[in-house]
Amino acid sequence: MVLLFVTLLMTVQLASFYFIRVAIEEIASQTLREELQVGARVFRRLLDQNSQQLVEATSVLTYDFGFREAIATRDRDTILSALRNHASRIRASGMAVVGLDGRVVADTMDEAQTGGAYAFPDLVVQAESQGRASGMRVVGGKPYQVIVVPIRAPLPIAWVAMSFVIDDASARDLKTLASSDVTFIEVSGGAPRVLATTLEPGPRAALERSAAAVIATSAEGSRLMLGGEDTEVLATPIERKGTGNLYSVLQRPVAAGLEPFRALQLVLVLLACLSLAVTALVANRLARRLALPLARLAKAAGEVAKGRYDVAVQANEPARDEIDELALAFRGMTKGLAERDKVRDVLGKVASAAVADELMRGTVELGGEEREATVMFTDIRNFTSLCETLRPQESLALLNDFLTVISEVVEQYRGVVDKYTGDGAMAVFGAPVAEPGDAQRAVEAALEIRRRVLALGPSLAARGLPHPEIGIGLNTARVIAGNIGSSSRLNYTVLGDGVNLASRFEGLTKRYRVPIVVGELTQRGCTGVIFRELDKVRVRGRVEPVRIFEPLQLARDATTRAGRALDTWHAALADYRERRWDRARGLFERLEHEPGYERLAEIYLGYLADVAARQPGPEWDAAFTLFEK
Amino acid sequence: MRAARFPLIALFAVGGVLAASLEVTVRDERGNPVENAVAYATPKGAPAPAGPKRTAAIEQIDKTFVPHVTVVQAGTTVQFPNRDPIRHHVYSFSPAKSFEIKLYAGTPPTPVLFDKPGEVVLGCNIHDNMLAFVLVVETPYFAKTPREGIARLEQLPAGEYDVHVWHPALAAPVPARTVRLRADETAPFPAAVTLKAQPARAPAR
Repeated sequence: MVLLFVTLLMTVQLASFYFIRVAIEEIASQTLREELQVGARVFRRLLDQNSQQLVEATSVLTYDFGFREAIATRDRDTILSALRNHASRIRASGMAVVGLDGRVVADTMDEAQTGGAYAFPDLVVQAESQGRASGMRVVGGKPYQVIVVPIRAPLPIAWVAMSFVIDDASARDLKTLASSDVTFIEVSGGAPRVLATTLEPGPRAALERSAAAVIATSAEGSRLMLGGEDTEVLATPIERKGTGNLYSVLQRPVAAGLEPFRALQLVLVLLACLSLAVTALVANRLARRLALPLARLAKAAGEVAKGRYDVAVQANEPARDEIDELALAFRGMTKGLAERDKVRDVLGKVASAAVADELMRGTVELGGEEREATVMFTDIRNFTSLCETLRPQESLALLNDFLTVISEVVEQYRGVVDKYTGDGAMAVFGAPVAEPGDAQRAVEAALEIRRRVLALGPSLAARGLPHPEIGIGLNTARVIAGNIGSSSRLNYTVLGDGVNLASRFEGLTKRYRVPIVVGELTQRGCTGVIFRELDKVRVRGRVEPVRIFEPLQLARDATTRAGRALDTWHAALADYRERRWDRARGLFERLEHEPGYERLAEIYLGYLADVAARQPGPEWDAAFTLFEK
Repeated sequence: MRAARFPLIALFAVGGVLAASLEVTVRDERGNPVENAVAYATPKGAPAPAGPKRTAAIEQIDKTFVPHVTVVQAGTTVQFPNRDPIRHHVYSFSPAKSFEIKLYAGTPPTPVLFDKPGEVVLGCNIHDNMLAFVLVVETPYFAKTPREGIARLEQLPAGEYDVHVWHPALAAPVPARTVRLRADETAPFPAAVTLKAQPARAPAR
């Protein structure tokens, strides 16, 4: 988070720094340009004034009587020496006398020359019409200010042309006044040439290279890269004559214009660093106040998600800021969660987890729905006699041992223990949530319950208690599954004839002396289980008698011998039902001695005796009538 | 005595009757009369006789040469009386007569002899505006036009003459015209000249 703040501020700083810098450069450039323009104007005025002064000086010189006399002699050598003399008086680079015919009489800058045409006839023409002329001309690669004035004696008898070179020294003089570097460039046909300049050789060469571009720039000046340095340049034409154009170039490096802003920029940078440091500090403190507590809370939340509600969260009470409030709220939430968990736990113990979930979700309504389910009743045989020798506490403990077994197995086989019924339990497979194979699992659960209860035998025997036995009745039927009671106090359970029947089946385990009795639907819903049909039972409300079965074992555990006995049994049963009394009797008698079939054979031999006594009518269906308990 | 005088008058009359005159009218390109134009006639064939006048004077009054234009026959001496309270330094560099009279007051003791024909431009060394012209001709027959632009060449014997017209500010030289004069004739001679634009002459300070 510190990083975020610092980065943010740095971005803002950089952005503003950048924009300020851009603005500064713009201003500096602009200022420089304006200065150059002023400089150019000053320079122009200087040139004009300079030429003015030179004209005056030259004019005065030409009125010198001796000079005029010398000129009038028309003696070339005299004239030449007079010229040299007079030129030196005002430090001219050269002086020439041009006849009225435009031909050079004598020229100190070209002493051999006689009679040739004067190089700048246009100046002579100007002098003729205006009485004087001045211009800048290039001679021998150097720029000169050329002044042409008449020699009056008293009428013009000839022209004097005085030349004043613009060398680096004079450019330097002009530089101090124009406060920029001054360069004279000549453009004649080919590449532009630097004639005189105040620049050092390096920049001079750079300017020469870019001279064409410089000349082409606008009259307001522009910014060019000269010798790798940003420079403001302003090119002003001085003379535009057919053969060659003379330009003065004023230039100043932009960096010079930026000088005064250096201090400002430095201050800005310092301010930026300062604010950055302060921000970092503040952000750091903020992070400590904010990020750390938040991180701790996040970690605690992780612990709570894993189910550890005992996590410690530090907060100030009463809350000093929002973080404290958050922490306190978190604490409350954790407590609430823990309580809910506890409630759910307790609820789960009272009802099944599925029901508890539904109850917790608050979607519980009175009323129910019809569904097919397998109902299991279990009863611990002779529990009372089991507890004879026990104190009440011990009885309860023993009961709980049994009930624990039943509950565990039921839950294991994804059934739901509905209620504990004194010395047994009622369980449901298929409500509230139906799953395929409910009947199958119910039967398997019953077998497992029996096995585990028998397994308790040794420990009970060690305590001097009799052998435990259990009776289980299973019936698969359509039942009403739902909540009965009132909205503030309710039970989730299943109701219906099918439920009662399951209970009756459980009771029948005593009669047939078998541990488990299941209904036909249950038997049909199973695979891989060996069943023994017990009887046909007529129950109240049903026209058709129901067949009852006993699950013996899982098919995989079957033995050959047991299978043979079972076959005999079923054959005997069929004989009986089909009124083949004698054959039936014979088989039953054989089975009397078969282990596990004694009681059944006994019952059916009893049936046969009854039948022999009272010949059954055509409506006889070999069913045993079950009376209401 | 009346009889003696009569032949003198007749002689004069004869003399007068034998001389021709040339009335020269000088106008510029716009038709305006031109002042200070000089007309002179050189007889063809024979050299001109010497005229009666052998001296001239050019004064300096109020820092100005008076007259502005003077015509003299070659061989005339010209005096330069300085009528100003200040001194002047008269000079000329003209090839026809180069001379100088250094700063002086009053009248210089020696006049200047103009013996070569040609145009002589005079100036004052210390007063740049002072300007005068002396046209030295080789004939006694000359005249200078006043403001009206008309001058008369008198007493010309009959014969052929080359008549020249000159002015200090001629833009281009006027070609001479040949004129045949009969005795007693007063021939008109109109001349048109093109003058250079003359700047208004500033008063000398």
